[in-house]
Amino acid sequence: MLLKKVLGAKGYKIVKKGIWGEHPVFSACLGICSALAVSNKVENAIAMGAGVTFVLVATAVFISALRTLIPQRVRIITYMIVIASFVIIVDKTLQAFFPDISEAVGPYVGLIITNCIIMGRAEAFFIQNKISHSVLDAVSNGVAYSYTLILIAVIRELLGFGTLLGMKVMPGGWENWVVMTMAPGAFFLLGLAIWIARAIQDAGSEKEG
Amino acid sequence: MKIVRLLLDSLYKIPVVNKAEPLIEAIDAALFGTTDTTQRGPHIVDAIDTKRYMSCAIAALLPATLASIYFYGLRAILIIAVSYMAGFFVEFMFAVVYKHKIHEGFLVTGLIFPLVLPPTTPLWVVAVGVMFGVLFGKEMFGGTGRNIFNPALVGRLFITIAFPAIMTISWLMPITDATFTDKWLTPFGDTAITDAITAATPLAVYKTTKVVASFPDLLTGNTAGSMGETCRIAIIIGGLFLMFTKAGNWRIPVSYIGSVFVFAAIGNYFLPDSIAPPGFQLFAGGLMFGAFFMATDPVTSPFTCAGKYTFGIMCGVLTVLIRSFSGYVEGVMFSIVIMNALAPLIDHIVLSLKYRPVKV
Repeated sequence: MLLKKVLGAKGYKIVKKGIWGEHPVFSACLGICSALAVSNKVENAIAMGAGVTFVLVATAVFISALRTLIPQRVRIITYMIVIASFVIIVDKTLQAFFPDISEAVGPYVGLIITNCIIMGRAEAFFIQNKISHSVLDAVSNGVAYSYTLILIAVIRELLGFGTLLGMKVMPGGWENWVVMTMAPGAFFLLGLAIWIARAIQDAGSEKEG
Repeated sequence: MKIVRLLLDSLYKIPVVNKAEPLIEAIDAALFGTTDTTQRGPHIVDAIDTKRYMSCAIAALLPATLASIYFYGLRAILIIAVSYMAGFFVEFMFAVVYKHKIHEGFLVTGLIFPLVLPPTTPLWVVAVGVMFGVLFGKEMFGGTGRNIFNPALVGRLFITIAFPAIMTISWLMPITDATFTDKWLTPFGDTAITDAITAATPLAVYKTTKVVASFPDLLTGNTAGSMGETCRIAIIIGGLFLMFTKAGNWRIPVSYIGSVFVFAAIGNYFLPDSIAPPGFQLFAGGLMFGAFFMATDPVTSPFTCAGKYTFGIMCGVLTVLIRSFSGYVEGVMFSIVIMNALAPLIDHIVLSLKYRPVKV
């Protein structure tokens, strides 16, 4: 309960909602496109998760700081401009320091701009709340997205390549599940993950309510 | 029988054993039949229930099963056993968790699935395939009668895509001259049987060399292929039985096989280089097995007569197209799965054409 003290009651609630209760992938089915595309290897998933989390936090700071100045009618365009600027930073950083990952993740870094999680949080939360709460919300949503991605990537990389972070872990004679390296494998796993997560969420809400 | 009845009744009441109620129920129903009426599909206009339908299907599959056991020995028995055990495990877990009864449908799925596998498939791949098929092909949609795709085909499709190396290379000729010990007592036959000859399937041979296999070989099963699909005589006997008992509708197999023949004949006339001759297409690959036992699945095929013809004809066209112009040598599995997805739409169109609202 240290976390609750540090964050305050409202902050704790925001974090809990972001990481589990209103999980962006499991509950809202946002960000599915990139979750399917880049979860084939753990390192790609980590890079993508970190990138999205960074853009989320930066967007949260900017949007909630400017929330009284942004005219109602052009707010979506404003989000786009803010998000796009940070996505370009992420893209250039990856190209400069991690060219292999940049190659593997390919166009999906650029597509963070259209990632529904960021747009969704900006519209639903950042535009209405103060900076500290927005940042907490951004971090918890980013963490939720990242751990989902990494969880699926661990299973896909283990089964599809027999490796983990590029290291061989499966015993000799391991037969690669080719389907896991392709989109259908991601669909099956993500579907299973959402199924299991919702079953747990339902069980939890029954207990509470 | 009275003692068995008493024993079963008491099993329902013992608290711990109670947990396995679906299992007890299944044994009970298998021995004594059931008074329950069918709540959802497959609906058949007859005094027939799902159980009798499934029993007929199993009886129809017996000739092909016996042929596969005769050709591949202990290996075939093991694959069928693993398929039943792994699939039944998933089925049982779902029955316990969701507190419904075990559906009879799995008895057929668990037998059809091993029959469409290459005889050298590793046993763990068999288990993965059948578990995937039952889980994603059936239970996810709500169990027997609600599935969109044929569960056996879903499992087969999954392992075809997941393990291309295993599923496309490991074909065996029927093991005819192996010693008794080799054929019936060595469990892991793929390496242990010294007399086993690996060979490409007739369709694969045709694709690379344009050589057509001989008809007696195709009919009796003296070619490489999936365990149950090679002996066409056994399949035709089983298929005729299925139609004779009316457990399988004759319209789908007839229109399916007929359209393959017609379409292949036309195609072969105009494009002899890529489309195989019609007679060969009829008896090669899994067409007979697919048309008789998989396309006729009452849950995943249309229920209107016109719909059944459409379903069969489109399956046939797709099969010839996939066999001739795709990277895969066999198209039966893909075409049936594609048409499974379209079956509800076909029914919808047929019904809306047939029963139009009266214009005032």
